[in-house]
Amino acid sequence: MKQTPDIKPIATALLVAPAAILMFGVFVLPFLFLVVLSFWSQVPGSLGLDPTFTLANYARIISDSYYLGGLWTTLWLSGLVTLLCLVLALPLARWIVLHAKRTKGLLIGLCILPLVCGALLPTLGLVNLLSPLGFINGALKSMGLIKTSLPLLGNIAGVSIGLIQAFLPLMILPLISTNERIPHDYEKAAMSLGATRLVAWRRVLLPLMLPGIVAGSLLVFCASLTAFVTPQILGQGKVVTFASLAYQQAAMVLDWPFASALGMVMLLFLALAGILGALVSRGLGRSS
Amino acid sequence: MKRIACYAALTAVSLFPCLPALAQDYSGRTLVVGTWGGDIERLLREHVAGPLEAMTGAKVEFLLGGSGDRMSKMVAERNNPTMDVTFQNIYEAPAALKEGLVVAPDAALVPTAADVWAGMNDGCYAMSLVGLGIAYSKALFPEAPEWADLWKEEFKGKMAYAPYPSSEGDGMLAVAARIAGVSERDPDATFAKLAELGAPVLSYSSLDEVFTLMDAGEIAAAPMISGYVLSNLENYEGIGFVFPKSPGPVLVRDMVCQVANSPEPELAQMFIDLALSVETQTAYAKELNFGPTNSKVELTEAEADRVINTPEEVTSLLQLDWPYVIEQRSDWTDRWNKQILGQ
Repeated sequence: MKQTPDIKPIATALLVAPAAILMFGVFVLPFLFLVVLSFWSQVPGSLGLDPTFTLANYARIISDSYYLGGLWTTLWLSGLVTLLCLVLALPLARWIVLHAKRTKGLLIGLCILPLVCGALLPTLGLVNLLSPLGFINGALKSMGLIKTSLPLLGNIAGVSIGLIQAFLPLMILPLISTNERIPHDYEKAAMSLGATRLVAWRRVLLPLMLPGIVAGSLLVFCASLTAFVTPQILGQGKVVTFASLAYQQAAMVLDWPFASALGMVMLLFLALAGILGALVSRGLGRSS
Repeated sequence: MKRIACYAALTAVSLFPCLPALAQDYSGRTLVVGTWGGDIERLLREHVAGPLEAMTGAKVEFLLGGSGDRMSKMVAERNNPTMDVTFQNIYEAPAALKEGLVVAPDAALVPTAADVWAGMNDGCYAMSLVGLGIAYSKALFPEAPEWADLWKEEFKGKMAYAPYPSSEGDGMLAVAARIAGVSERDPDATFAKLAELGAPVLSYSSLDEVFTLMDAGEIAAAPMISGYVLSNLENYEGIGFVFPKSPGPVLVRDMVCQVANSPEPELAQMFIDLALSVETQTAYAKELNFGPTNSKVELTEAEADRVINTPEEVTSLLQLDWPYVIEQRSDWTDRWNKQILGQ
């Protein structure tokens, strides 16, 4: 059996140091500043900061129904997007693994495309597609199916479509990886024993796909929770998410302490989602 | 190629004889300018950055985005700024000066500043004059509307607004206050009056977005800043723009600022000098319908009709107490989110 060569601790430290220093400088330090800033306050009528410790920013969030409403909207919107991504990605990932032979690489590349094009261009494209005078409403009107435009922008429907378009790859990729480890004939074996296709999926395939489902759901949920560009453009100011509130406070009102507190609350929910995902993964590991 | 560059430099020098620190060679140095994208960036490249690069050998780099982003950047980089020149809104300039983020306007540093109409260099140098008027759907308003017409029942819920905080939002609040018979210092009455217009159809992120819907009659009207609208109206037959009379349009002013302690102060002053020059200001007026602040700019009658370009016109406009408005920023943003958008 091939053994890993011994690496001296000093060599390990030298190898790790550049990335560690970079991460400390560009992530840990600003993050710590964000934490500290969230307990400061803005000097009234000024852009200056008052470094006196205060919980006022957090008290404002939990005592104001507007911010709590924004948090609730963000959480359930993220949950909805995660669920819809899962429903769309499950059959697609399975089909790619089972049936896409030579085109598999191309299909995976197409799935990844929304991730590598950034959020702005696809979102602006969706505006043209979904607007009252856009392609979808135009096509439906010309076919005589509707008389007045369907509201597809400025509401949860529009923002969800945008987020699903943006984050579906985050669900598909882990599911493809999980599906590749499931023998192709399990589904046929279950059906030969009398299971319907639905039962075979529910009792055989889905339990085996759970690691991919957990990983994909966690990625999509966290990405949706912190998404800014898509809700900002497709929500047209009428869908309030926590990221758009934080941007408004940081870049337009210039109340950085309050914006930091909003960011910290968002990070808290990201951490909770991460812990939940880790617990589920550990449980799956034990049961297998 | 060198000869062309030389001619360009000579032409530029002959056009702008008063530029400070002209003799020095700035090759290899970079001036960073924060401004809005689109036509403004194009005009600044053509009339300011190009000649400045030809004259000095320096490179001009543009940072494009909203003025709020630039304000944040100045605050964040207070002790070590990377931006030399920034374009801000009228309401941000006095606050930036008060915080020590920008250098106070000084004609000794920027000679063309002496040609700017008296009293306009408030916080930073006054770059252009525009007014907040009404862009409206001609299908829904056969006659150009007055502000009060927007409150008619048939137009409820058919407005569009720029994202708040913004000059457009603050201006509309000032109008709502006057319609309610109070001033913006009575925010309860002001926001209640504006809320009567109903939740907007959208908070727009681009002019095309709102104009397309307005052209089709899905949006009745939007408070908009004159320059941008007038420049775009040629593409939309179904949209009109009017400066209402009661109250008059709200004055909005773009300012150009020298960032305090920036890496290239001399280049920054030269850039601002060129920006305030007759040539640049005339191009702003002719191509963007932005009123010039340089008193020496001469426009034809037709051009002058489309812009605000004299102190007399400025005094006829509705002017806000911007320091007060800035102090209310946080509270008003909450009110806007809840009372105007969240209906």
